[in-house]
Amino acid sequence: MSDQHVLLENVSKRFDMRKDSVLALSDVSLSLRRGEFVALIGPSGCGKSTLLRLLADIADPSAGSIRVGGRSPRDARLAHRIGFVFQDPTLLPWRTVLDNVKLPIKIARGRAEHGSASPEELLELVGLGGFENAHPSQLSGGMRQRVAIARALALTPELLLLDEPFGALDEISRQHLNLEMLRIWTETGTTAVLVTHAISEAVLMADRIVVLSPRPGRVTGIVEVDLPRPRTLDLMQTQEFFRLENAVRSALFGTVEATEDPAPLEAHQ
Amino acid sequence: MTMSLSSLSPPVADRSVRSRPAMIGRGRHLVALMIRWLPALLLIIGLLALWEWAGQAGRLPISVPAPSAIGTEFSDSRDMLWFHTAPTLSAAAKGFVAAAVSAFVLGMVVAFRPRLAGPVYQTSVIVSSVPLVALTPVLVLWLDRGDTVRTTVAALAGFFPILVGCVQGFGARDSGREELFLVLSAGTWQRFTSLTLPSSLPYVFAGLKAAAASAVLGAIIAEWSGGGGTRGLGQMMTNALFGFNVPRTWLTIATAAFLAVGAYAIVATAERLVVRWDHDTAGVER
Repeated sequence: MSDQHVLLENVSKRFDMRKDSVLALSDVSLSLRRGEFVALIGPSGCGKSTLLRLLADIADPSAGSIRVGGRSPRDARLAHRIGFVFQDPTLLPWRTVLDNVKLPIKIARGRAEHGSASPEELLELVGLGGFENAHPSQLSGGMRQRVAIARALALTPELLLLDEPFGALDEISRQHLNLEMLRIWTETGTTAVLVTHAISEAVLMADRIVVLSPRPGRVTGIVEVDLPRPRTLDLMQTQEFFRLENAVRSALFGTVEATEDPAPLEAHQ
Repeated sequence: MTMSLSSLSPPVADRSVRSRPAMIGRGRHLVALMIRWLPALLLIIGLLALWEWAGQAGRLPISVPAPSAIGTEFSDSRDMLWFHTAPTLSAAAKGFVAAAVSAFVLGMVVAFRPRLAGPVYQTSVIVSSVPLVALTPVLVLWLDRGDTVRTTVAALAGFFPILVGCVQGFGARDSGREELFLVLSAGTWQRFTSLTLPSSLPYVFAGLKAAAASAVLGAIIAEWSGGGGTRGLGQMMTNALFGFNVPRTWLTIATAAFLAVGAYAIVATAERLVVRWDHDTAGVER
Protein backbone atom coordinates (compact mmCIF):
# COMPACT_ATOMS: atom_id res chain seq x y z
CA MET A 1 0.00 0.00 0.00
CA SER A 2 1.45 3.32 -1.02
CA ASP A 3 0.23 5.40 1.92
CA GLN A 4 1.27 2.82 4.46
CA HIS A 5 2.53 4.55 7.59
CA VAL A 6 3.05 2.14 10.47
CA LEU A 7 4.15 -1.42 9.81
CA LEU A 8 4.45 -4.25 12.34
CA GLU A 9 5.91 -7.52 11.13
CA ASN A 10 5.78 -10.67 13.27
CA VAL A 11 6.13 -8.68 16.46
CA SER A 12 6.37 -10.61 19.71
CA LYS A 13 6.94 -9.38 23.22
CA ARG A 14 8.05 -11.63 26.05
CA PHE A 15 8.28 -10.43 29.64
CA ASP A 16 10.87 -12.27 31.69
CA MET A 17 9.77 -12.97 35.22
CA ARG A 18 11.94 -14.44 37.94
CA LYS A 19 11.14 -18.07 37.15
CA ASP A 20 9.55 -18.17 33.73
CA SER A 21 8.52 -15.72 31.07
CA VAL A 22 5.17 -14.52 29.83
CA LEU A 23 4.39 -14.10 26.17
CA ALA A 24 2.43 -10.83 26.06
CA LEU A 25 2.28 -10.54 22.29
CA SER A 26 2.69 -13.30 19.76
CA ASP A 27 3.47 -12.80 16.10
CA VAL A 28 1.48 -9.62 15.51
CA SER A 29 1.52 -8.23 11.99
CA LEU A 30 -0.36 -5.06 11.13
CA SER A 31 -0.23 -2.25 8.64
CA LEU A 32 -1.66 1.19 9.34
CA ARG A 33 -2.43 3.71 6.61
CA ARG A 34 -1.34 7.30 7.03
CA GLY A 35 -4.06 9.32 8.74
CA GLU A 36 -5.99 6.23 9.72
CA PHE A 37 -7.75 5.85 13.08
CA VAL A 38 -7.23 2.34 14.41
CA ALA A 39 -8.67 0.92 17.61
CA LEU A 40 -7.06 -1.96 19.48
CA ILE A 41 -9.60 -3.88 21.50
CA GLY A 42 -9.42 -6.96 23.66
CA PRO A 43 -9.86 -8.23 27.20
CA SER A 44 -7.28 -7.36 29.83
CA GLY A 45 -4.06 -9.27 29.34
CA CYS A 46 -4.31 -9.30 25.57
CA GLY A 47 -1.28 -7.06 25.26
CA LYS A 48 -2.99 -4.07 23.66
CA SER A 49 -1.27 -1.58 25.97
CA THR A 50 1.99 -3.42 25.42
CA LEU A 51 1.55 -3.04 21.67
CA LEU A 52 1.08 0.71 22.14
CA ARG A 53 4.20 0.90 24.30
CA LEU A 54 6.21 -0.86 21.61
CA LEU A 55 5.03 1.73 19.08
CA ALA A 56 6.08 4.53 21.45
CA ASP A 57 9.47 2.92 22.13
CA ILE A 58 8.71 2.70 25.84
CA ALA A 59 9.51 -1.02 25.48
CA ASP A 60 11.38 -3.04 22.83
CA PRO A 61 9.86 -5.97 20.95
CA SER A 62 11.41 -9.36 21.67
CA ALA A 63 11.10 -10.32 18.02
CA GLY A 64 9.88 -8.82 14.78
CA SER A 65 10.19 -5.32 13.43
CA ILE A 66 8.25 -2.07 13.72
CA ARG A 67 8.51 0.87 11.35
CA VAL A 68 6.91 4.26 11.89
CA GLY A 69 7.05 6.37 8.76
CA GLY A 70 9.97 4.30 7.51
CA ARG A 71 12.06 4.57 10.67
CA SER A 72 12.30 2.76 13.95
CA PRO A 73 10.03 3.77 16.84
CA ARG A 74 13.13 5.02 18.67
CA ASP A 75 14.08 7.39 15.86
CA ALA A 76 10.48 8.57 15.63
CA ARG A 77 10.41 9.19 19.37
CA LEU A 78 13.76 11.01 19.37
CA ALA A 79 12.46 13.17 16.52
CA HIS A 80 9.50 14.09 18.77
CA ARG A 81 7.04 12.64 16.28
CA ILE A 82 5.03 10.52 18.71
CA GLY A 83 2.21 11.84 20.87
CA PHE A 84 1.01 9.71 23.78
CA VAL A 85 -2.05 10.10 25.97
CA PHE A 86 -1.81 7.88 29.04
CA GLN A 87 -4.60 6.34 31.09
CA ASP A 88 -3.89 8.96 33.76
CA PRO A 89 -3.46 12.58 32.72
CA THR A 90 0.09 12.60 34.24
CA LEU A 91 0.19 16.38 34.37
CA LEU A 92 2.88 18.18 36.33
CA PRO A 93 1.07 19.76 39.29
CA TRP A 94 3.60 22.59 39.65
CA ARG A 95 2.97 23.83 36.13
CA THR A 96 -0.04 25.76 34.98
CA VAL A 97 -2.36 24.22 32.41
CA LEU A 98 -0.70 26.22 29.63
CA ASP A 99 2.82 25.32 30.77
CA ASN A 100 1.82 21.65 30.84
CA VAL A 101 0.76 21.89 27.20
CA LYS A 102 4.03 23.67 26.38
CA LEU A 103 6.16 20.98 28.04
CA PRO A 104 6.87 18.98 24.84
CA ILE A 105 7.88 22.18 23.03
CA LYS A 106 10.19 23.15 25.87
CA ILE A 107 11.81 19.72 25.88
CA ALA A 108 12.18 19.54 22.11
CA ARG A 109 13.96 22.96 22.21
CA GLY A 110 13.30 23.76 18.58
CA ARG A 111 14.47 20.37 17.34
CA ALA A 112 10.93 19.52 16.23
CA GLU A 113 8.45 21.46 14.21
CA HIS A 114 5.83 23.21 16.28
CA GLY A 115 2.23 22.31 15.88
CA SER A 116 0.11 24.14 13.35
CA ALA A 117 -1.94 25.20 16.37
CA SER A 118 -0.34 27.14 19.21
CA PRO A 119 -0.66 25.81 22.78
CA GLU A 120 -3.30 28.46 23.43
CA GLU A 121 -5.27 27.37 20.36
CA LEU A 122 -4.96 23.73 21.42
CA LEU A 123 -6.46 24.55 24.80
CA GLU A 124 -9.28 26.35 22.98
CA LEU A 125 -9.69 23.25 20.82
CA VAL A 126 -10.14 20.94 23.80
CA GLY A 127 -12.59 23.36 25.39
CA LEU A 128 -10.29 24.78 28.05
CA GLY A 129 -9.90 28.33 26.79
CA GLY A 130 -9.64 30.60 29.83
CA PHE A 131 -8.06 27.93 32.01
CA GLU A 132 -4.48 28.69 30.87
CA ASN A 133 -3.32 29.84 34.30
CA ALA A 134 -5.20 27.27 36.36
CA HIS A 135 -3.28 24.49 38.04
CA PRO A 136 -4.16 20.83 37.37
CA SER A 137 -5.41 20.37 40.93
CA GLN A 138 -8.16 22.87 40.19
CA LEU A 139 -9.53 20.83 37.28
CA SER A 140 -11.86 17.87 37.14
CA GLY A 141 -10.67 14.50 35.89
CA GLY A 142 -12.14 15.05 32.43
CA MET A 143 -10.58 18.50 32.13
CA ARG A 144 -7.18 17.15 33.13
CA GLN A 145 -7.38 14.49 30.45
CA ARG A 146 -8.17 17.20 27.88
CA VAL A 147 -5.02 19.03 28.94
CA ALA A 148 -3.14 15.77 28.37
CA ILE A 149 -4.65 15.54 24.86
CA ALA A 150 -3.64 19.13 24.07
CA ARG A 151 -0.13 18.35 25.33
CA ALA A 152 0.12 15.26 23.10
CA LEU A 153 -0.73 17.46 20.10
CA ALA A 154 1.66 20.31 20.93
CA LEU A 155 4.27 19.19 18.40
CA THR A 156 1.84 17.81 15.74
CA PRO A 157 2.81 14.16 16.11
CA GLU A 158 2.69 11.94 13.06
CA LEU A 159 1.52 9.11 15.32
CA LEU A 160 -0.92 9.72 18.16
CA LEU A 161 -1.17 6.88 20.68
CA LEU A 162 -4.13 6.80 23.06
CA ASP A 163 -3.99 4.31 25.91
CA GLU A 164 -7.56 4.09 27.22
CA PRO A 165 -7.47 7.85 27.65
CA PHE A 166 -11.04 8.13 28.87
CA GLY A 167 -11.20 4.87 30.80
CA ALA A 168 -11.44 6.58 34.17
CA LEU A 169 -14.31 8.83 33.14
CA ASP A 170 -18.05 8.29 33.30
CA GLU A 171 -20.04 7.44 30.20
CA ILE A 172 -21.31 10.99 29.54
CA SER A 173 -17.95 12.77 29.69
CA ARG A 174 -16.43 9.94 27.81
CA GLN A 175 -18.72 10.29 24.79
CA HIS A 176 -18.23 14.05 24.72
CA LEU A 177 -14.48 13.63 24.78
CA ASN A 178 -14.63 10.89 22.14
CA LEU A 179 -16.36 13.24 19.72
CA GLU A 180 -13.93 16.06 20.54
CA MET A 181 -11.03 13.69 20.03
CA LEU A 182 -12.38 12.77 16.58
CA ARG A 183 -12.80 16.43 15.66
CA ILE A 184 -9.23 17.24 16.71
CA TRP A 185 -7.93 14.18 14.89
CA THR A 186 -9.73 15.29 11.72
CA GLU A 187 -8.03 18.68 11.95
CA THR A 188 -4.53 17.33 12.54
CA GLY A 189 -4.74 14.40 10.14
CA THR A 190 -2.34 12.28 12.20
CA THR A 191 -2.40 8.51 12.35
CA ALA A 192 -4.08 7.51 15.59
CA VAL A 193 -4.10 4.28 17.58
CA LEU A 194 -6.64 3.96 20.38
CA VAL A 195 -6.48 1.22 22.99
CA THR A 196 -9.87 0.52 24.51
CA HIS A 197 -11.96 -2.22 26.04
CA ALA A 198 -15.29 -0.62 25.11
CA ILE A 199 -16.79 -2.00 21.92
CA SER A 200 -19.07 1.00 21.24
CA GLU A 201 -16.15 3.41 21.71
CA ALA A 202 -14.08 1.47 19.21
CA VAL A 203 -16.88 1.45 16.61
CA LEU A 204 -17.62 5.14 17.15
CA MET A 205 -14.01 6.23 16.74
CA ALA A 206 -12.13 3.95 14.42
CA ASP A 207 -11.71 3.29 10.70
CA ARG A 208 -10.56 -0.18 11.62
CA ILE A 209 -10.80 -2.25 14.79
CA VAL A 210 -8.06 -4.73 15.56
CA VAL A 211 -9.34 -7.45 17.90
CA LEU A 212 -6.79 -9.12 20.16
CA SER A 213 -7.08 -12.28 22.24
CA PRO A 214 -5.27 -12.82 25.53
CA ARG A 215 -2.44 -15.14 26.66
CA PRO A 216 -0.65 -14.83 24.38
CA GLY A 217 -1.87 -11.61 22.78
CA ARG A 218 -2.52 -12.18 19.11
CA VAL A 219 -4.69 -10.61 16.46
CA THR A 220 -7.90 -12.60 16.02
CA GLY A 221 -9.76 -10.30 13.71
CA ILE A 222 -9.97 -6.95 12.01
CA VAL A 223 -13.29 -5.16 11.60
CA GLU A 224 -13.56 -2.45 8.97
CA VAL A 225 -15.80 0.39 10.13
CA ASP A 226 -17.32 2.03 7.07
CA LEU A 227 -19.50 4.48 8.95
CA PRO A 228 -19.53 7.99 7.46
CA ARG A 229 -17.52 10.82 9.02
CA PRO A 230 -17.93 13.07 10.87
CA ARG A 231 -19.29 10.59 13.34
CA THR A 232 -22.14 11.63 15.62
CA LEU A 233 -23.82 10.12 18.64
CA ASP A 234 -26.93 9.53 16.49
CA LEU A 235 -24.94 6.96 14.57
CA MET A 236 -24.92 4.81 17.67
CA GLN A 237 -28.64 4.19 17.23
CA THR A 238 -28.35 2.87 13.70
CA GLN A 239 -28.67 -0.70 12.52
CA GLU A 240 -25.24 -0.49 10.95
CA PHE A 241 -23.66 0.48 14.29
CA PHE A 242 -25.23 -2.57 16.00
CA ARG A 243 -24.05 -4.80 13.19
CA LEU A 244 -20.47 -3.55 13.62
CA GLU A 245 -20.65 -3.92 17.40
CA ASN A 246 -21.77 -7.51 16.94
CA ALA A 247 -19.00 -8.15 14.45
CA VAL A 248 -16.46 -6.97 17.05
CA ARG A 249 -18.20 -8.97 19.74
CA SER A 250 -18.07 -12.18 17.74
CA ALA A 251 -14.41 -11.59 16.93
CA LEU A 252 -13.78 -11.05 20.65
CA PHE A 253 -15.69 -13.99 22.01
CA GLY A 254 -15.70 -16.28 19.03
CA THR A 255 -19.48 -16.64 19.13
CA VAL A 256 -20.92 -17.16 15.68
CA GLU A 257 -23.75 -14.70 15.40
CA ALA A 258 -26.08 -14.05 12.53
CA THR A 259 -23.95 -11.40 10.91
CA GLU A 260 -23.82 -11.43 7.15
CA ASP A 261 -20.35 -9.85 7.32
CA PRO A 262 -18.18 -11.92 9.63
CA ALA A 263 -14.92 -10.34 10.66
CA PRO A 264 -12.01 -11.38 8.51
CA LEU A 265 -9.66 -13.59 10.47
CA GLU A 266 -6.65 -12.61 8.44
CA ALA A 267 -4.46 -10.31 10.50
CA HIS A 268 -2.21 -8.98 7.82
CA GLN A 269 -3.79 -6.67 5.30
CA MET B 1 -10.84 26.84 14.50
CA THR B 2 -14.02 28.56 15.43
CA MET B 3 -15.92 25.75 16.99
CA SER B 4 -17.56 26.18 20.33
CA LEU B 5 -16.36 23.08 22.00
CA SER B 6 -16.79 24.49 25.47
CA SER B 7 -20.53 24.58 25.07
CA LEU B 8 -20.48 20.96 24.07
CA SER B 9 -18.50 19.86 27.04
CA PRO B 10 -19.46 21.03 30.49
CA PRO B 11 -17.25 19.58 33.20
CA VAL B 12 -19.79 16.91 33.94
CA ALA B 13 -17.73 14.40 35.79
CA ASP B 14 -16.42 16.52 38.60
CA ARG B 15 -16.18 13.65 41.02
CA SER B 16 -12.44 13.92 41.02
CA VAL B 17 -12.31 17.63 41.83
CA ARG B 18 -10.47 17.87 45.09
CA SER B 19 -12.49 19.60 47.72
CA ARG B 20 -9.99 22.25 48.63
CA PRO B 21 -10.86 25.33 50.61
CA ALA B 22 -10.81 27.49 47.50
CA MET B 23 -13.85 29.43 48.59
CA ILE B 24 -12.41 30.45 51.94
CA GLY B 25 -11.45 34.11 51.88
CA ARG B 26 -8.51 35.73 53.62
CA GLY B 27 -10.53 36.66 56.73
CA ARG B 28 -11.98 33.24 57.29
CA HIS B 29 -8.58 31.77 56.72
CA LEU B 30 -7.20 33.89 59.55
CA VAL B 31 -10.05 32.88 61.86
CA ALA B 32 -9.44 29.22 61.05
CA LEU B 33 -5.75 29.72 61.84
CA MET B 34 -6.58 31.33 65.20
CA ILE B 35 -9.00 28.56 66.11
CA ARG B 36 -6.31 26.02 65.33
CA TRP B 37 -3.71 27.71 67.53
CA LEU B 38 -6.04 28.88 70.30
CA PRO B 39 -5.77 25.74 72.50
CA ALA B 40 -1.97 25.78 72.35
CA LEU B 41 -1.89 29.51 73.08
CA LEU B 42 -4.26 29.14 76.04
CA LEU B 43 -2.21 26.26 77.38
CA ILE B 44 1.02 28.26 77.19
CA ILE B 45 -0.58 31.30 78.85
CA GLY B 46 -2.02 29.09 81.54
CA LEU B 47 1.33 27.43 82.22
CA LEU B 48 3.08 30.81 82.34
CA ALA B 49 0.45 32.12 84.81
CA LEU B 50 0.85 29.05 86.98
CA TRP B 51 4.62 29.41 86.81
CA GLU B 52 4.41 33.09 87.74
CA TRP B 53 2.07 32.33 90.62
CA ALA B 54 4.44 29.66 91.94
CA GLY B 55 7.32 32.15 91.73
CA GLN B 56 5.38 34.86 93.60
CA ALA B 57 4.44 32.33 96.26
CA GLY B 58 8.07 31.29 96.65
CA ARG B 59 7.36 27.73 95.65
CA LEU B 60 9.95 27.48 92.85
CA PRO B 61 13.41 25.97 93.34
CA ILE B 62 16.24 28.48 93.47
CA SER B 63 17.40 27.51 89.96
CA VAL B 64 14.07 28.49 88.38
CA PRO B 65 13.08 32.16 88.19
CA ALA B 66 9.56 33.42 87.65
CA PRO B 67 8.72 34.46 84.08
CA SER B 68 8.57 38.12 85.15
CA ALA B 69 12.16 37.88 86.37
CA ILE B 70 13.25 36.63 82.94
CA GLY B 71 11.28 39.50 81.37
CA THR B 72 13.01 42.03 83.60
CA GLU B 73 16.39 40.49 82.75
CA PHE B 74 15.52 40.81 79.06
CA SER B 75 14.77 44.55 79.28
CA ASP B 76 17.88 45.12 81.45
CA SER B 77 20.38 43.29 79.23
CA ARG B 78 18.84 43.61 75.81
CA ASP B 79 21.98 45.15 74.27
CA MET B 80 24.19 42.45 75.73
CA LEU B 81 21.81 39.76 74.43
CA TRP B 82 21.94 41.14 70.90
CA PHE B 83 25.72 41.58 71.14
CA HIS B 84 26.06 37.86 71.83
CA THR B 85 23.23 36.60 69.60
CA ALA B 86 24.30 38.30 66.36
CA PRO B 87 27.48 36.24 65.74
CA THR B 88 25.65 33.03 66.69
CA LEU B 89 22.91 33.77 64.22
CA SER B 90 25.37 34.64 61.49
CA ALA B 91 27.35 31.42 62.08
CA ALA B 92 24.14 29.38 62.11
CA ALA B 93 22.99 30.96 58.84
CA LYS B 94 26.36 30.40 57.14
CA GLY B 95 26.49 26.83 58.43
CA PHE B 96 22.95 26.18 57.22
CA VAL B 97 23.78 27.42 53.72
CA ALA B 98 26.98 25.35 53.65
CA ALA B 99 25.04 22.26 54.78
CA ALA B 100 22.31 22.88 52.20
CA VAL B 101 24.76 23.33 49.31
CA SER B 102 26.92 20.33 50.16
CA ALA B 103 23.94 18.05 50.86
CA PHE B 104 22.26 19.17 47.64
CA VAL B 105 25.40 18.47 45.60
CA LEU B 106 25.83 15.05 47.22
CA GLY B 107 22.14 14.33 46.68
CA MET B 108 22.59 15.13 42.98
CA VAL B 109 25.63 12.85 42.80
CA VAL B 110 23.48 10.05 44.21
CA ALA B 111 20.63 10.92 41.84
CA PHE B 112 22.87 10.60 38.79
CA ARG B 113 25.00 7.73 40.16
CA PRO B 114 22.64 5.59 42.26
CA ARG B 115 25.47 3.17 43.00
CA LEU B 116 27.05 5.81 45.21
CA ALA B 117 23.95 6.00 47.42
CA GLY B 118 25.31 3.37 49.84
CA PRO B 119 28.78 4.87 50.41
CA VAL B 120 27.45 8.44 50.62
CA TYR B 121 24.77 7.47 53.12
CA GLN B 122 27.07 5.34 55.27
CA THR B 123 29.75 8.02 55.47
CA SER B 124 27.15 10.64 56.31
CA VAL B 125 25.62 8.50 59.04
CA ILE B 126 29.03 8.01 60.63
CA VAL B 127 29.90 11.70 60.45
CA SER B 128 26.49 12.69 61.81
CA SER B 129 26.72 10.20 64.65
CA VAL B 130 29.74 11.87 66.21
CA PRO B 131 28.51 13.88 69.21
CA LEU B 132 28.97 17.54 68.35
CA VAL B 133 29.95 18.39 71.94
CA ALA B 134 32.86 15.98 71.62
CA LEU B 135 33.76 17.04 68.11
CA THR B 136 34.04 20.76 68.79
CA PRO B 137 37.20 20.67 70.96
CA VAL B 138 38.93 18.66 68.23
CA LEU B 139 37.85 21.18 65.64
CA VAL B 140 39.09 24.01 67.86
CA LEU B 141 42.51 22.35 67.84
CA TRP B 142 42.42 21.85 64.07
CA LEU B 143 40.96 25.11 62.96
CA ASP B 144 40.95 28.02 65.39
CA ARG B 145 38.75 29.40 68.10
CA GLY B 146 37.05 31.77 65.71
CA ASP B 147 34.01 31.74 63.57
CA THR B 148 35.04 28.75 61.44
CA VAL B 149 34.45 26.24 64.20
CA ARG B 150 30.89 27.21 65.05
CA THR B 151 30.00 27.57 61.38
CA THR B 152 31.38 24.08 60.75
CA VAL B 153 29.50 22.58 63.68
CA ALA B 154 26.29 24.33 62.60
CA ALA B 155 26.80 22.89 59.12
CA LEU B 156 27.42 19.39 60.51
CA ALA B 157 24.27 19.63 62.60
CA GLY B 158 22.16 20.59 59.60
CA PHE B 159 23.79 18.43 56.94
CA PHE B 160 22.22 15.03 57.49
CA PRO B 161 18.52 15.98 57.50
CA ILE B 162 19.00 17.89 54.24
CA LEU B 163 20.92 15.01 52.66
CA VAL B 164 18.14 12.57 53.59
CA GLY B 165 15.57 14.98 52.14
CA CYS B 166 17.53 15.39 48.89
CA VAL B 167 18.28 11.69 48.39
CA GLN B 168 14.68 10.69 49.12
CA GLY B 169 13.27 13.54 47.05
CA PHE B 170 15.51 12.96 44.03
CA GLY B 171 14.87 9.23 44.28
CA ALA B 172 11.08 9.49 44.48
CA ARG B 173 9.87 8.14 41.16
CA ASP B 174 6.43 8.38 39.63
CA SER B 175 6.33 5.75 36.90
CA GLY B 176 3.68 7.62 34.91
CA ARG B 177 5.71 10.83 34.77
CA GLU B 178 8.87 8.84 34.01
CA GLU B 179 7.13 7.33 30.97
CA LEU B 180 5.89 10.75 29.93
CA PHE B 181 9.44 12.13 29.93
CA LEU B 182 10.63 9.06 28.04
CA VAL B 183 8.03 9.56 25.31
CA LEU B 184 8.96 13.25 25.18
CA SER B 185 12.62 12.19 24.71
CA ALA B 186 13.83 14.44 27.50
CA GLY B 187 17.57 14.47 28.19
CA THR B 188 19.05 13.58 31.56
CA TRP B 189 19.47 17.19 32.62
CA GLN B 190 16.02 18.22 31.35
CA ARG B 191 14.52 15.37 33.30
CA PHE B 192 16.31 16.51 36.44
CA THR B 193 15.33 20.17 36.19
CA SER B 194 11.79 19.71 34.87
CA LEU B 195 10.73 16.56 36.72
CA THR B 196 13.04 15.37 39.51
CA LEU B 197 13.76 18.73 41.11
CA PRO B 198 10.18 20.05 41.33
CA SER B 199 8.80 16.75 42.59
CA SER B 200 11.58 16.52 45.21
CA LEU B 201 10.86 19.91 46.78
CA PRO B 202 8.47 18.70 49.54
CA TYR B 203 11.13 16.20 50.67
CA VAL B 204 13.96 18.71 50.41
CA PHE B 205 12.03 21.28 52.42
CA ALA B 206 11.24 18.71 55.11
CA GLY B 207 15.02 18.27 55.49
CA LEU B 208 15.67 22.02 55.37
CA LYS B 209 13.11 22.69 58.11
CA ALA B 210 14.66 20.17 60.46
CA ALA B 211 18.15 21.45 59.59
CA ALA B 212 17.32 25.12 60.25
CA ALA B 213 16.61 24.49 63.93
CA SER B 214 19.55 22.08 64.23
CA ALA B 215 21.99 24.61 62.74
CA VAL B 216 21.08 27.21 65.38
CA LEU B 217 21.48 24.70 68.19
CA GLY B 218 24.70 23.37 66.59
CA ALA B 219 26.26 26.83 66.64
CA ILE B 220 25.38 27.22 70.33
CA ILE B 221 26.82 23.79 71.15
CA ALA B 222 30.07 24.81 69.45
CA GLU B 223 30.20 27.97 71.54
CA TRP B 224 29.89 25.96 74.75
CA SER B 225 33.10 24.15 73.93
CA GLY B 226 35.07 27.21 72.99
CA GLY B 227 34.12 27.72 69.38
CA GLY B 228 33.71 31.36 68.43
CA GLY B 229 35.89 33.08 71.04
CA THR B 230 34.22 35.16 73.72
CA ARG B 231 31.19 36.40 71.80
CA GLY B 232 28.13 34.25 71.28
CA LEU B 233 24.85 33.16 72.78
CA GLY B 234 26.50 29.97 73.98
CA GLN B 235 29.19 31.97 75.78
CA MET B 236 26.57 34.20 77.36
CA MET B 237 24.74 31.07 78.45
CA THR B 238 27.76 29.44 80.09
CA ASN B 239 28.91 32.72 81.67
CA ALA B 240 25.49 33.26 83.21
CA LEU B 241 25.36 29.64 84.33
CA PHE B 242 28.73 29.70 86.04
CA GLY B 243 28.07 33.18 87.43
CA PHE B 244 24.90 31.85 89.12
CA ASN B 245 22.86 34.45 87.26
CA VAL B 246 19.71 32.38 87.10
CA PRO B 247 17.40 34.82 85.21
CA ARG B 248 20.08 35.47 82.59
CA THR B 249 20.67 31.75 82.10
CA TRP B 250 16.98 31.28 81.43
CA LEU B 251 16.90 34.30 79.15
CA THR B 252 19.58 32.72 76.96
CA ILE B 253 17.73 29.39 76.96
CA ALA B 254 14.51 31.11 75.90
CA THR B 255 16.40 33.04 73.21
CA ALA B 256 17.95 29.83 71.84
CA ALA B 257 14.53 28.19 71.64
CA PHE B 258 13.07 31.28 70.01
CA LEU B 259 15.84 31.37 67.37
CA ALA B 260 15.41 27.68 66.57
CA VAL B 261 11.65 28.04 66.15
CA GLY B 262 12.17 31.23 64.13
CA ALA B 263 14.63 29.48 61.79
CA TYR B 264 12.12 26.70 61.27
CA ALA B 265 9.36 29.22 60.59
CA ILE B 266 11.44 31.09 58.00
CA VAL B 267 12.09 27.90 56.02
CA ALA B 268 8.45 26.83 56.38
CA THR B 269 7.38 30.20 54.97
CA ALA B 270 9.84 29.84 52.10
CA GLU B 271 8.35 26.43 51.38
CA ARG B 272 4.84 27.83 51.23
CA LEU B 273 6.03 30.45 48.75
CA VAL B 274 7.88 27.94 46.53
CA VAL B 275 5.74 24.80 46.75
CA ARG B 276 2.50 26.45 45.76
CA TRP B 277 0.81 23.55 44.03
CA ASP B 278 -0.19 21.83 47.24
CA HIS B 279 -1.61 24.87 48.95
CA ASP B 280 -2.88 26.77 45.94
CA THR B 281 -6.15 28.24 47.12
CA ALA B 282 -6.44 30.88 44.41
CA GLY B 283 -9.54 30.59 42.31
CA VAL B 284 -9.41 29.62 38.66
CA GLU B 285 -8.56 32.70 36.64
CA ARG B 286 -10.98 33.31 33.85
